[in-house]
Amino acid sequence: MMKINTIYLKRVLLYGGCLLFPVFVMAQELGQSLGSLDVRPSLVNPRLSLPTQLTQVHVVSPGEYFSPPLVADIPDDKYGDMVRMGRNIFVNSAKYAKRYAGNGLNCSSCHLQEGRKPHSGPLWAAFGMYPMYRHKTRTVVTFEERIQDCFLYSMDGIAPTLDSPEMKALVTYAQWLSKGAPVGIKLPGRGFPIVNRSQDLDSKRGKIVYETRCEICHGEDGKGKKHLQGDGYMFPPLWGRNSYNKGAGMQRIKTLAQFIKGNMPLGASFSLSDQESLDVAMYIWLQDRPKNPKMSWVMDFFLPNMAH
Amino acid sequence: MWLVSYIKHFLIAKLKNASTWSALLAGLMVLLPLMIVMLFPFSSSLDQQYRLAGERLASNGSRDTLACITCHGRQGEGDFVMGIPRLAGLHPDYIKKQLEDYARAPLRTRVVLDPIARDYIKTPRTYGDLTVFTPGTRHNDEMNVVAKTLSPEDRHNLALYYSALPFVATPKAYDFETLERGEDLALRGKPEYGLPACVSCHGPNGQGFGAVFPPLVGQPMVYMIDQINKWQTGRRDNDHLSLMKNIANQLTDGDKINVAAYYSNQSYSVNVE
Repeated sequence: MMKINTIYLKRVLLYGGCLLFPVFVMAQELGQSLGSLDVRPSLVNPRLSLPTQLTQVHVVSPGEYFSPPLVADIPDDKYGDMVRMGRNIFVNSAKYAKRYAGNGLNCSSCHLQEGRKPHSGPLWAAFGMYPMYRHKTRTVVTFEERIQDCFLYSMDGIAPTLDSPEMKALVTYAQWLSKGAPVGIKLPGRGFPIVNRSQDLDSKRGKIVYETRCEICHGEDGKGKKHLQGDGYMFPPLWGRNSYNKGAGMQRIKTLAQFIKGNMPLGASFSLSDQESLDVAMYIWLQDRPKNPKMSWVMDFFLPNMAH
Repeated sequence: MWLVSYIKHFLIAKLKNASTWSALLAGLMVLLPLMIVMLFPFSSSLDQQYRLAGERLASNGSRDTLACITCHGRQGEGDFVMGIPRLAGLHPDYIKKQLEDYARAPLRTRVVLDPIARDYIKTPRTYGDLTVFTPGTRHNDEMNVVAKTLSPEDRHNLALYYSALPFVATPKAYDFETLERGEDLALRGKPEYGLPACVSCHGPNGQGFGAVFPPLVGQPMVYMIDQINKWQTGRRDNDHLSLMKNIANQLTDGDKINVAAYYSNQSYSVNVE
């Protein structure tokens, strides 16, 4: 009697599961796409312009953020030369740090305006905070080691050695930019702004955000746009062969959303809502890019978008 | 394996056969000149015709309007003193869009401006999905009248004509301090206020990028300052995502002069062999 019962139970579970599983999945999908509080983004044609009254403006009071020294005030000595070299590497890494840079990005593609802009990982706010504990490596890292990680992941290249002139120049530039900034204090504008998640992310909404806000500069295919004359990118690639790899910090949806909220579109910072930033970050996260150098090819194939 | 060897032998037999090669050659000899004839000169001669029509319209005008050259110069070089912009070497799609926006303005709809300056960062954003996207407008007493008389074909012809004209900028001299401040703003912007650098969109030398970002170098100083003023007052509102409006709203009068002086100090040439 017991034996028959278990067989029957097994069959019910097996066939019932097979029948019900697609229904379960469909129900989940329906629930995601047709939430009662969900507002569908309007599928408008390519927009011409936004009316003035509907634009958010990020109000900055004078003196809110640290202002680094002017480029015109770089001294004319050996130290000044090192600062200038560091600045060159920073804004044009593919040319001045050619042996270490691996893709089309420069340092200033993420650290905007030559590492000066608040909310885009400014150097003047970072320099005084190192050495610090990093959760990514579970160790205390120095400023130089942090730069090495930038080259390895975000620039998909080779980590410069600690004694290389490129590394010295970059550290000198960062030190010059943060002259007058306090050491060991979290300055306003440090890193990226905070983004809060209120509902599930949706890459379909993110695609619409990308097409309306990002596509005009970064291109329909997200591969960026090259300079008309000369090498390098006018607008950096967001995915593809010449973009950051899967080990980069920007491959975390949260980090990317934070960067987008605080800096993009250029000139209209903080104009996207938290949800829009997260959605478009997810859309970018799903795209193809170089593999994480610390991950095997097999893992890269089966876990295509794992960050860390 | 038998299948592979079968295909291999079949191919070798085919390639050894002289008739296959002659058929291929004959086909190529017919197709290649056809392709060249069909694709290459056909489009360029059409463009040439459009350009000629544009030149006729620009130099003679039409029944309803003045000729373009009365203000914009014989070669589309503009007027530095009067602040009339150059048209030579601009992107054709940019010219087309501007003419469309000139023809649209002034709008009939009443726009009510908010008299109280709001702290927008503290305003909850509830209209994210309900935004109405108005087409762009540009106000200019002369150009609004002129652009209304142009047909879409006229705009296309004029755009093609002016985008192909050569232009050489004459650098203007200014004092060192103005240029240095202008350079700082052009290359680095004002990061502590979230104001991006001019070069980040308008190209590394301000020569413009694509149809969306027009050139700054080679434009008269008066014109550039006037445009920023118009963005601030809302008389020009035809930029993508109101990016330039946000930027113009953060520029002081000193910034405008400095950066306009910096760009009229640069040397530049386009469409010149």
